Amino acid sequence: MSLLDFARGPALEWSLLIMVFGIFWRLVGTFLFKGQVYLSKPKGTRFVAAGLRTIATRSWPDERLERTIRFQHYSGYLFHITLFIVIFLFEPHIEFFKWLLGFSWPGLPTNAVTFAAAVTVATLIALGIRRATNPIMKSITNADDWLSWLVTIGPVVTGMMAFAHQNIGIRYEDLLGIHILSVCLLFIWIPFGKLMHMFLLFPGRYQIGEKFEFRGVRA
Amino acid sequence: MCENANIPVSGLDAIGVRVEGPDLQALARETARPLLHEIRHALERLLKTGEETVIDLRSLPLGELGERYLLEELGTGELDCRLEALGASTVRESAYPGVWVVTHENAAGVMVGRFLEVTFLPSILKSDPIDVRSGLDRLTERLEADPGDAAKENAVAP
Amino acid sequence: MASNMTLGESLRRRGVSRRGFLKFCAATASMMALPPGSVPALAAALEKARRPSVIWLSFQECTGCAESITRADAPTLEGLIFDYISLDYQHTLMAAAGDAAEAAREAAMHENAGKYLVIVDGSIPVKDDGIYSTIAGMTNLQILKDTAKDAAAIISLGSCAAFGGIPKANPNPTGAVAVSDIVKDKPIINVPGCPPIPVVITGVIAQYLAFGTLPELDVHGRPKAFFGQNIHDRCYRRPFYERGLFAETFDDEGAKAGWCLWKLGCKGPITYNACAVTKWNFGTSFPIQAGHGCIGCSEPDFWDKGGFYEPLAAGTYAPGAGLVSAAAVGVAVGVGSAVLARNSQKALHKEGA
Repeated sequence: MSLLDFARGPALEWSLLIMVFGIFWRLVGTFLFKGQVYLSKPKGTRFVAAGLRTIATRSWPDERLERTIRFQHYSGYLFHITLFIVIFLFEPHIEFFKWLLGFSWPGLPTNAVTFAAAVTVATLIALGIRRATNPIMKSITNADDWLSWLVTIGPVVTGMMAFAHQNIGIRYEDLLGIHILSVCLLFIWIPFGKLMHMFLLFPGRYQIGEKFEFRGVRA
Repeated sequence: MCENANIPVSGLDAIGVRVEGPDLQALARETARPLLHEIRHALERLLKTGEETVIDLRSLPLGELGERYLLEELGTGELDCRLEALGASTVRESAYPGVWVVTHENAAGVMVGRFLEVTFLPSILKSDPIDVRSGLDRLTERLEADPGDAAKENAVAP
Repeated sequence: MASNMTLGESLRRRGVSRRGFLKFCAATASMMALPPGSVPALAAALEKARRPSVIWLSFQECTGCAESITRADAPTLEGLIFDYISLDYQHTLMAAAGDAAEAAREAAMHENAGKYLVIVDGSIPVKDDGIYSTIAGMTNLQILKDTAKDAAAIISLGSCAAFGGIPKANPNPTGAVAVSDIVKDKPIINVPGCPPIPVVITGVIAQYLAFGTLPELDVHGRPKAFFGQNIHDRCYRRPFYERGLFAETFDDEGAKAGWCLWKLGCKGPITYNACAVTKWNFGTSFPIQAGHGCIGCSEPDFWDKGGFYEPLAAGTYAPGAGLVSAAAVGVAVGVGSAVLARNSQKALHKEGA
């Protein structure tokens, strides 16, 4: 079995199974957790509205904080938007989702995606350097952060290498196999580290809004 | 061979074909230009030292349009030779003396090679000593088989 | 049997002039990606080449490879060279049959020991001692081992001989394997394709005749001159791939406009062959030009790469059922861990936490 056959076969199969199993386990386990018990009477009443509002308000930091984290703030948004473009609006990737989910959607011209991929890699590297040099970031960084960073930048870099195979010197089928394997690594890691923020972020903010509404405070 | 070759295959010509693409003419010019410079240098070498140059056009990423542009640029000169050996070949001097375009086709009419030769005379035009020897043998045989009346009269016994 | 006449003499006897011979050498050098400067050397070498004995073994095959080579409806020098080789044993083409044919093979092997070329088409079944394909009472496996023993070199013609091909496709009931899985001590040239392009095999033979050497081979043992580039890199539809313009079905506007066939399963990017350059049927066309994606027929295991109409981005299996089960198991484990967690939460709460 060649590297590419392995990547498109057993590797993809098992990594997807692990990812789906892991996501459902963590989400179900987390949401079925017994919520905080409040022994006093609620001061607010509009919990749903508060939750939803907090999702929106926490998406943009307070002005006083934003001044000090401006670089990270904008880079973070930029990186997420360009990564979204690369993953979901690139025609070959849309074919992957069509195989996985059974439906597809229109994509962008390849040139736009290539540009977005380049910006993604540059931003990830810049944020990585910040994490390694900024004293505050250094002190709160752990292995989870670095592993998540690696499994995210890996597919983008290997994907660009596969696309540009004429200039690299490695055979295309091997580059594509390496790219797919790097995606399988990402799949496997998603349920077990901080990448779960993609699912927990909005429910988390909602819960904060709910909690503070109970206390009668605008969060 | 099909006798009724004029019967159109039904329906196929109703399928419209539309090709979109970049400015291929400009692209063709870009790829062919360096080759013209190479030919110029080859001509200089030919004049200075007599060194001949052969360029295999199939080995270059010219593409159909690039090759067509190149051949148009080279133009035609005084000589246009046709060779019949295992299919047709043409040996044509371009508008630049010393630059020859040699095109080989096999017996099925498919082009199997195209070369640019920078030389005073392409070697394939010359008669080969082996073929000359074989021709001489044939002519000798023919004359000996039928010497003609004059020869019979002049035959002198030793 | 192999005679003492050189190739040059043989061609002259058949009325091929020196000019015709030189023309062929130039065309062959061009096709084999040899530099034009090597044409005189090639001509001199081919002129003096001795007629090799060739034994052609046909195993688990469809005869398509033999058909591909013999489809010369006009005499070409490739055809003449093919005629020139002393084809001492070939099921479809030889006149003898039965014991007489087997005797011819053994005689050729004996007389030309150490010097004969073996061409193999078809895979070799090895399961159950190889009984799934036998000729004259002998298994293919045994015939190959016997014939390869004194061969100078072996050409594995077609994807079946080179890699196992169709018989090897999942679940491979006969245990089909490639020639190179059985013969380990002889030079082997793989010339895959289903079938291979005709000029490829004659080019390989011409090079072997002329220089007595095998051409430069790639990682799968294929001549780099023909299998060094993948279809994708030479495909005329490449600009559409680069811009992201794909045909979605075989009859939509994109298909009519000649857009890239990647979404319709084209395996051009991972297939190495000369189809996009040399084309088929005397340069007429090749699958992509005709509107169908490349099926990757010159690659190992091309039958088991997930389907001819599935793009390379898709996995090679059907994902649905497994993922539903994984989700169900995840939910179950999640519920289980939540129950455990709530129990300990209750205990902590009781303690007054």
